[in-house]
Formats: sequence, structure tokens, C-alpha cells
Amino acid sequence: MKWLLIGSSALYLGSLKRPIFLAALLLELCYLALRGLGLGRLPLIGPQDTLAFFSCSIALMSLPFIYSRELSGQRGFFWSCGALAALFALLALPFPTLNMPLPPILDTYWFELHVALAFFAYALFGVAALLGGGFLLRGNRSFLDLQYRAALVGYSFFSLSMVSGGIWGYYAWGTYWLWTPKELWTSILWLFYSMYLHLRVKGQAWDRAFAWIGIIGFLVTLFTYLGVSMLLRSSHSF
Amino acid sequence: MLKSLYARLCSLDLGLWLLALVMLVLAAGSFSRGSAEGAGLNEMPLLLWLQRAPISFSWWLWLSVALVALLCLNALLCSIEALRSKGRSIAPHLMHLGFLLVVLAHLVSACGGFKQQLEVGEGGSIGFPDGDRVRIERITTEAGPMGMMSGYRADVRLQGGTLSGVEPNRPLFHKGYGIYLKHVELTPAPVALLEIHREPGALPALFGALIFTAGNLLLLARRRGR
Repeated sequence: MKWLLIGSSALYLGSLKRPIFLAALLLELCYLALRGLGLGRLPLIGPQDTLAFFSCSIALMSLPFIYSRELSGQRGFFWSCGALAALFALLALPFPTLNMPLPPILDTYWFELHVALAFFAYALFGVAALLGGGFLLRGNRSFLDLQYRAALVGYSFFSLSMVSGGIWGYYAWGTYWLWTPKELWTSILWLFYSMYLHLRVKGQAWDRAFAWIGIIGFLVTLFTYLGVSMLLRSSHSF
Repeated sequence: MLKSLYARLCSLDLGLWLLALVMLVLAAGSFSRGSAEGAGLNEMPLLLWLQRAPISFSWWLWLSVALVALLCLNALLCSIEALRSKGRSIAPHLMHLGFLLVVLAHLVSACGGFKQQLEVGEGGSIGFPDGDRVRIERITTEAGPMGMMSGYRADVRLQGGTLSGVEPNRPLFHKGYGIYLKHVELTPAPVALLEIHREPGALPALFGALIFTAGNLLLLARRRGR
């Protein structure tokens, strides 16, 4: 089944046109659907499944921006969204496929909602970073406006992910909050985008800084998702 | 002088600096020994831990608490000031209110939370501070297709004779406490590992989260197409 992931990565890397991007997304959705059907749940456990889900989320969340009027003809942007999705799909490949059933504590819709919303948010933060890069390269202000929208919707998904995670935690562990490095970095990420959204009030003099902060935000996102699992000891990681 | 202090306290710049500082302190804390899960931070209410832990473990939390307190004051004053001027959207202030409630909920749990872990066999019972007892009647497990334990359950009889079940993700709430089933062992004799929790901040936190979400949705609706 991994050939679907390889195929979609190849298509993403050649996605200078929208139909190619759509075909890549379709292949990746097929891969995730087959994984989900095989497992009887959303594939959200372990590095391979989460990286593939993240890659697919990036492509899915890019769609409204790729089809937006402001960015029509911006092939560089289409390609960079495809390249970002391909990067995480390719990163998923070396990891082993985990086919185990969900441990009882994870077997709840709150968990699936929490993780899926977090990845949608991460994906939108990624798209926001690309839009920030677009603004810095081209100086076109519509990139910056779209970056703000991507980050705002991402922030909303992320806040909802924290709420659903808190509800899950309360039913699973008796508390909506645990002091783990993952939760600390989740808070840092939430505070970071709170700061980003407040910075908008500072006006146009801050445009370049705003774009850069949107890019740095994605680095914080990657550390929260991957860095914490690799560098810090936390029971709350993949 | 008081006016200038007030203006500073409700300024956006102060809020931005505080957000940046809280992030830096939490980031530094995440690499410190104090945040390691072995440091016992999750085993007791936060305020009790802060009193007991050496400052070399807890410095980042003390600092975070102080900065978050200032941030809350800043958010509160900012909202009051903004609401004084007519024509402003209520959305960001609902989000501020939700945030403040969630912080307050953490404070309530940090003061009045409770957690205890215990192993109870079939026929054993758990006592509550008011003298009430609940008895573990039966412990059962389910095996999945690969032979792994896919579910477990403890049937609990309450003082009045009612029989209830406790399962992973399905705790039993009794007299303000939650009874959570963490694990079971069937051999040599059935034993359930239970955790008793009291989380007084849970409801205010949920309420805060709902208010925040309502504000967030309003903000999204206002920003649509802009």
C-alpha cells in the first residue's frame, strides 16, 4: 500500500498545476482510507500514520488557498504546498506500519477528534508559513492577508483540539491537564499564535515581522509535533 | 503616575512581551529536571508541589505563575478598556474571558485537587472522607483479535446497593470524586489499579473553553471574506 504514498509524493513534487495537486491528494486520501478501513479507525497512531495524516492535512488545508482568487496563477505557491506535503509523506515511508488495535485508553472519539484537529491546525500553520515566505519574496500584500486567515483558522482548530484533548484527558486520566513536555510545548504553540494574532493590531509597519513570525510559528509547530517526541521524554507523544 | 501605570498595564505591548516571556520560561522549563515526569508534578495539586519541590526544580513554574498572573491582569484591563468604547466587537473579549476562566480553573484545581492511586482486589472496597464506601464486585477483561487486552472493567457497588461499571474513558463520578480504572491484572487474583481524582477546576475550565470557542467562532465569522 506504500506505493500510494510514494505515488502521491511524486505527484506533489510535480504539482505546478492544480489538477496534479488534486490527483496527489486523491492518492494520499486513498492510502489513508485503506489504512483506516484495515484498522477500523482513523490512522493516527505512530510516526508513519501521523506523518502521512499530517502530509494529507497540509494538502487538504492548502486547497482553499490554491483555489483562492488572490493566488490564481501563483504556481510557485502551488508547488511549495505540494513540496511540503511530499516532504512529510516521504518522511513517513521509512517508519514501520503499526497495525495494532487502539489501546483502551485511546479508544474514544475525543482522542481522534483531538489529534485530527491538531494536525489540521499544524497544516494551516504550515500553509501560513509558506504564505509568509511568498510575501517576503514577492511583496504582494494578499499573501500576508491570507497568511493571517490561515493562522487564524489554524489557531481555532488548535484551540478546539486543546479543548477536546482536555475533555478526553478528564475522562481518561481524571484531569484535563498533565504536566508533560508535550503539553508545555502545546501551550507554547498556542501562546505563540495568540501573540501572532495580536501583532496584527500593530499595523503595516510590522508586515515583514508579521510574515517572519508566521514562518517561525511553523518551526515551533514542528518542534511541538516532532521535536518533543524525539528530544524530550514525554508519555504524551506518538 | 497612576494613569501612566494603568495605561501600561492595559497596553498591547505589555501583553506581547508577557506572552513572549511566558513562552520562553515554559520552553526553558520543558528542558529542566522539574518538568520531567519523574519529578512528581502530576502526582499532587500544583500548589502543594510548588511548596515541596526545591527551587532548582520549580523556578520556571514560579516565574510562569507570576507572568501568567500579569498577563491575566493585562487581558482583563484591555477588555474593560475596549468595551468602554462603543462599536467594538465582543469576540476578542469573549476569548479573553474564556482564557481568564481557564486560568482560574487551573488555580482552583491547583489548590483543591486530589489524586490517590490504589490497588483493590475483588471484594475490596474504597473509603471516602464522609465514611461512605464503594465495593469492587467483579473485575473482567476482554481480549482483542490479536490476543492483546482490548478492554477491562470493574463492577462497583455503591453504598445504596446500586451496581455501576468503571472502564477506561468511562470513570464513575461519586460524591465529587472520579473513580478511574487504570489497569487490571487477573492473575494470581483479580486486582484493579484505581485512581481517585477530584478536579474542582474541570467545570470552570470547560465553561471557559466554551466561552473562548464562542468568541473564536464569532471572530472567524467577522473575519470571513476580509
